[in-house]
Amino acid sequence: MAMLIPLIFIAVFAFAAVKKVKIYEEFSAGVGEALKFTLSLIPCLAAIFMMCELFEVSTLSDKLTKLLSPVFSFLGIPAELTKLVLIKPFSGSGSLAYLNEIIAEYGADSYTGRCACVCYGSSETIFYISAVYFAGLKQKKLAAPIAISLVSTFLTTILACLLCRIM
Amino acid sequence: MNAIFTGIFLASLLAVAVISPEGFLPALLGGAEKSLAMAVTLFGIYAVWMGLSRLAEKSGLSGAAAKALKPMCGKIFRTDNTAACEGIAMNLACNLLGIGGAATPYAVKAIGELEKDNNSFAQKLLFIVNATSVQLIPTTVIALRTSAGSAAAADIVLPSLICTTFSTLFAAIVFIFGPKKWRC
Repeated sequence: MAMLIPLIFIAVFAFAAVKKVKIYEEFSAGVGEALKFTLSLIPCLAAIFMMCELFEVSTLSDKLTKLLSPVFSFLGIPAELTKLVLIKPFSGSGSLAYLNEIIAEYGADSYTGRCACVCYGSSETIFYISAVYFAGLKQKKLAAPIAISLVSTFLTTILACLLCRIM
Repeated sequence: MNAIFTGIFLASLLAVAVISPEGFLPALLGGAEKSLAMAVTLFGIYAVWMGLSRLAEKSGLSGAAAKALKPMCGKIFRTDNTAACEGIAMNLACNLLGIGGAATPYAVKAIGELEKDNNSFAQKLLFIVNATSVQLIPTTVIALRTSAGSAAAADIVLPSLICTTFSTLFAAIVFIFGPKKWRC
């Protein structure tokens, strides 16, 4: 599996060489596009990160976690996963930190650890994606797509915890 | 996004003002600082993949892939914009391979192309597909489990696959068959 990505690079470089593409110039030009793209993301990133930090410091995230844990347990989601599930739609790096914590505390092969892994791997940073994808476009009505994605992710979380029990 | 940002920001702001007003500014400064660290990480990912994709583009490779996928793209996303299909195809390919970070620039490119055709349906569908995660191999999670000393790091591949398939299908079906105003 680890071979796959080097193989893709070899194939593309070889094909480009055959087609007489100026590889160095074009590769650098692509990196230039990446730089412009990254810079265009920073305002969004900064605003979202500031919001997340503030949410954390305000202890609202802890209160919400405590409030929702019983509901989650009732639906078969281990209470330890509450924070991970809540943070994931906003922040990939934030939720990755929680995933690390859960694995360190309960072990990668424990039920809780496996649940956390499947939940993390089968969900996305919904709010972050919506901000980045539609940045700079005219106002879109995104409430329905965002709500659908959130509901679907939540149902998937329940399914993931169920699957980890039987698989 | 506007309403959510304002809501969470204001609620947190009020709570911080009551609980620990001295923690307010450090939180904002820290958040801004972390965003640049994140941007550096992202630049690494984008530099590698956008460099490579520029080669694929200039050699005609991604154009050929887009042409092959165009009929399917047209049917699902209801578009005949070749550049948009190219972006969508590359976005999905990156997602399936588990290099989600590399998928973002392609989605942004495709959404920009679709904006020219005023195709909100395709833009929103592409968003939903990405927001519900499409992935064959959860590369990051497997790597994390291996480094944590898991006895069966790939143990979670099958449940993850079932879950991502379910979430994307469920969301896409609800979106496509839901009320018409959701799609425009």
